[in-house]
Amino acid sequence: MLTVAHLRKVYSTVVAVDDVSLQAKKGEILGLLGPNGAGKTTTIRTVLNMITPDSGMILFNGKPIDESIQNSIGYLPEERGLYRKNKLLHTIQYFASLKGISAAESKRRAYDWLKRFDLLSYYQQKVEALSKGNQQKVQFIISILHDPEFVILDEPFSGLDPINQILLKDILLELKQKGKTIIFSTHQMDQAEKLCDAICLINKGRVVLEGEIAEIKNRYGKNSVMLEFDGDGKFLSTLPSVHTAQVFENYAELILRDNLKAPQFLREIVGKLEIRKFEMTQPSLNAIFLDVVGGRRTNGEGAS
Amino acid sequence: MRKALAVARWEYVEKVKSKAFLISLLLTPLIMLGMGILPTLLATRPDTTAQIVGIIDPSGEIALPLSEYLDAHYKLPDGNPNYVLRKFSAGTADEVAAAKHRADMLILDDQLEGYLVLGKSYLNDTAFEYHAQNVGNVKLIERMNHAMRDLLVRKKLEARGYDTSIIRDLSSEVDMKTIKLAKSGQEEESAVERVFFTAYGFMMMMFFLIITSGQILVRSMLEEKSNRVVEILISSCTANQLMAGKVIGLSLLGLTQMGLWGVIGIAISLKMAITLISLPSAGLLFLYFIFGYLFFAAVFIAAGAPVSTEQEAQQINSYLVILLILPVMFAFTIMQNPNSTLSHVLTFIPFLTPTMMAIRIPVQMPSELEIAGSLIVLILFAFGAIWMAGKIFRTTILLYGKRPSLRELLVIVRAK
Repeated sequence: MLTVAHLRKVYSTVVAVDDVSLQAKKGEILGLLGPNGAGKTTTIRTVLNMITPDSGMILFNGKPIDESIQNSIGYLPEERGLYRKNKLLHTIQYFASLKGISAAESKRRAYDWLKRFDLLSYYQQKVEALSKGNQQKVQFIISILHDPEFVILDEPFSGLDPINQILLKDILLELKQKGKTIIFSTHQMDQAEKLCDAICLINKGRVVLEGEIAEIKNRYGKNSVMLEFDGDGKFLSTLPSVHTAQVFENYAELILRDNLKAPQFLREIVGKLEIRKFEMTQPSLNAIFLDVVGGRRTNGEGAS
Repeated sequence: MRKALAVARWEYVEKVKSKAFLISLLLTPLIMLGMGILPTLLATRPDTTAQIVGIIDPSGEIALPLSEYLDAHYKLPDGNPNYVLRKFSAGTADEVAAAKHRADMLILDDQLEGYLVLGKSYLNDTAFEYHAQNVGNVKLIERMNHAMRDLLVRKKLEARGYDTSIIRDLSSEVDMKTIKLAKSGQEEESAVERVFFTAYGFMMMMFFLIITSGQILVRSMLEEKSNRVVEILISSCTANQLMAGKVIGLSLLGLTQMGLWGVIGIAISLKMAITLISLPSAGLLFLYFIFGYLFFAAVFIAAGAPVSTEQEAQQINSYLVILLILPVMFAFTIMQNPNSTLSHVLTFIPFLTPTMMAIRIPVQMPSELEIAGSLIVLILFAFGAIWMAGKIFRTTILLYGKRPSLRELLVIVRAK
């Protein structure tokens, strides 16, 4: 279990992280969400002891970070890159050796992982021979080759094609099954929604929403409307009864104001649109994100 | 420690295989050879064919003795005369002009290397000219000058009625040998050139060694920064382990380079049957090299860690090259006056110490006190530099964007 308590980091005048607390449990995937510049990467770097926090506490299984814990952490940085001029196998083995894995063992594991990611043909080649996407897969392999107990991934899905995204998702679920503690940061709410057990939403360096996804959704209740329609839906976002709105060409997801019942709302839109589908449901994570971070109404700006 | 060794192993094994290292390994001795030794070797290389030199001698009294003089003094390796004089007969000024014209034609025709034009009367007029297409043939010009001086002195003495045997005795060549007195009281005959080139060679070796490995280091740190590998590294080991690994790996790289150059040096000295340097001196130099190397490795790390663009790296490198070229500028003064106050002072400036000693030890062994003192200063500064570099490395290796100013670096070093 990873516990972060009251983390604070100030860069000269900018407060990057302010009183951030979070918990990632064993066998759980925690999504670290937030808009650009929210402090996700700073939080991750601080957790990894790359940055010394101004105050706060970080505990792995109740202990502060040390060499043995470093060996049981796997980390995938947000910005990708590898040594270009070196051989793939040697590169993997080097990073494994820094995690205390013997050369023979890392070779065996590298073989298995490369096979799984369909990269065996590059086994003896230089890294620069690999495409960008393939290099990204290699980096992921490097982050988990030493079978770490804590896996921290910064935007692991970005840049991967759908097939590899599925592969990566499967592997993450396997790791979860094996009881690893996984934290991953992302902008992609649909990914987070499908994968995470819990989320921690950071905005402007502060935690603005946290908890298990199911619980958060329950908290929001069922006052979210999925609407499919024909006609011009622009007016939806300006309705006084609508709290947050994402309006697309023929589809809208709306969070209604408190205690507003469906019939009331329906009465407001009937006649203005040709309704094909109307569903009261739990809001998507994306809608919650927009509600919490933006508190704003959007017109087809959608998920990003 | 195991992690530092893992880093060191990677830094060493992967870089020793890199093209940049191989090039510097092989190219550097070649450049040194090319810059320092080759011109001299070429200049002193004996001619293989005789060179024909014309002579216009209106007095008619110099041509023959000069020819004899040249035959006696300068021979080709096969025993034949090195220079063949071709006489152009000319008495009056008009004839001299005509002869010069003919000789010019022959030079352009490659049948003549050059020609001498003497005055009408050598007793009153000792000025003479040498005409040639190539007036850069230093060896020939030097020899002609030398021969003419000898001859004219002899002729003038003869004209004043001195006995030729006395003249011969008076004008005989002197023969100077330089004997190097070692501290132990042993004397060894040593050529000035050899001492010079040994000192020069050691200095240049130190210079190239630091420059090439410093550049390799800065470049690799820059690469790790720009491809963000440094984040993975720092999440796997501490900054200190990473830096220690880099310093160890780089030092091993330097040792490899030195070792190979040493083998080349020993091979050359065995081939030429000369002792470039005694074993204890070599051992002592090695000590200076090691600590000088550590000192500079730390300097390069401190300078390179905050850098995040290629442009900045080049800037840093050029500053450090200036720092390193300084001893080369002082080299000649130091060689001439190894015991001057300047030498003593420069020896105690840590970033000059190794090169200064590389110059001074082959020329004249400094006193034990000075050796011990300068070594202690160098070692203290080397470890101080590593300590400082460690602080700067820890704070700036993850820094991107604007390079911290000198003042900001000072704040980092002062921080606890």
